[in-house]
Amino acid sequence: MSLVHRAPDSAHHAEGPAPRSDGSVSWPGPGVGPWVGLAARLVVGGVWVVASLLKLPDPQQSVRAVRAYEVLPEAVVPTLGALLPGIELVVGLLLLLGLATRPAAVVSAVLLVVFVAAISQAWARGLTIDCGCFGGGGQVADPGSSYFWEIVRDVGLLLASAWLVARPRTRMSLHPVLFSAPRGHRG
Amino acid sequence: MAKKQNTNERAARAAAALAAQQKAEKRRNIITAVVVGLVVVLIAGGVFVYLLGKGNQGDIAAAGAGEGEYGVTIGDADAPHEVVVYEDFLCPYCGQLEAASRDDFTEAANAGQVQIEYRPFNLLSGISDYSERATSAFAVVLTEEGATVAKKFHDILYENQPSESAEEFPDNQQLLDWAVEAGADEATVSDGILDQTMTDWVEEATTAATDAGVSGTPTVLLDGEQVSGTADQIVQTVLDTVQE
Repeated sequence: MSLVHRAPDSAHHAEGPAPRSDGSVSWPGPGVGPWVGLAARLVVGGVWVVASLLKLPDPQQSVRAVRAYEVLPEAVVPTLGALLPGIELVVGLLLLLGLATRPAAVVSAVLLVVFVAAISQAWARGLTIDCGCFGGGGQVADPGSSYFWEIVRDVGLLLASAWLVARPRTRMSLHPVLFSAPRGHRG
Repeated sequence: MAKKQNTNERAARAAAALAAQQKAEKRRNIITAVVVGLVVVLIAGGVFVYLLGKGNQGDIAAAGAGEGEYGVTIGDADAPHEVVVYEDFLCPYCGQLEAASRDDFTEAANAGQVQIEYRPFNLLSGISDYSERATSAFAVVLTEEGATVAKKFHDILYENQPSESAEEFPDNQQLLDWAVEAGADEATVSDGILDQTMTDWVEEATTAATDAGVSGTPTVLLDGEQVSGTADQIVQTVLDTVQE
């Protein structure tokens, strides 16, 4: 009896990373990568949650921030202004918790690409606006070098998001708590 | 022989139990995923609806007619109803509303049925600087010549409204000519209009409008409630109420 059960277990030891005694494969795998992923999740997720919460008290501000970029037609500006904080909040929460990490990181990366493009075009056209990244938004007297540093920050967050798209399994994720891994597979 | 059979049966039973367990876990995973998905949609949707509701229709916290700092008012302050019209001198739909409403609104205001305040601001800055220049000129006329001339200038601007897609927009000299046509003294308003001296006023008016919750033009408030629909429907709704 016990021998019959040990055989597949030892086979797993030979082929797979750190299987548990019950035969399932441990999350998230060995190495320093999952720790880097954890850091990426906390930083990017934290930024999204803060960015969202700061916008909630003043929806007009959020709408004005979108309008100030002077890219979108007025018909969709209020909708997008109301839509973005909610998306930012759930992306941030998912990343902080480590649930649906890869889809959340994909959305995060897409948003950041859009934001970098929007800030760049505002800079290139000589618009003088607040990026509205963390509340605020609209016209400002002199954005000075803020465009540059906003782009640097967003590119950094974009790289961290890209890491999570590539390696979504991280330490201290809620995923293995809520989802059981299929036995005998690396799943 | 019997022992081996026994072992086979046990192995089969164990395999069946494992399969059943795997199936149950798979089911649980799917349910968990659905729940997580629902929570995500609920949070994002909830924030969206909350922000849209807080920021949009029905929740425009605008000063009443005659009480705004950036508008021209017609009609008596004691009138039983009040209308506020937020508009942009370049917005085509505002032009339609002006054409559809001017005679009836003016008549109702003169009859003491309603007080109406027109609040132009610079919504369409992305299309051209015409909105800003025209609104600045309007502010100059309002400040220097008073409400009657400013209202007339406002009307002339809409009667001569350029297309949003025009290649060239009326220049400041043209705006000055229209102001004079409205009854402004050329020497008094000329510098202000030609040099666009009231652009700060325009910016403040625009911030006041968007802060009040106005996110599009025209936005028409009848006794504080937003009236929507086509230009003709808006006029009809207003008239139905004020002529009761």
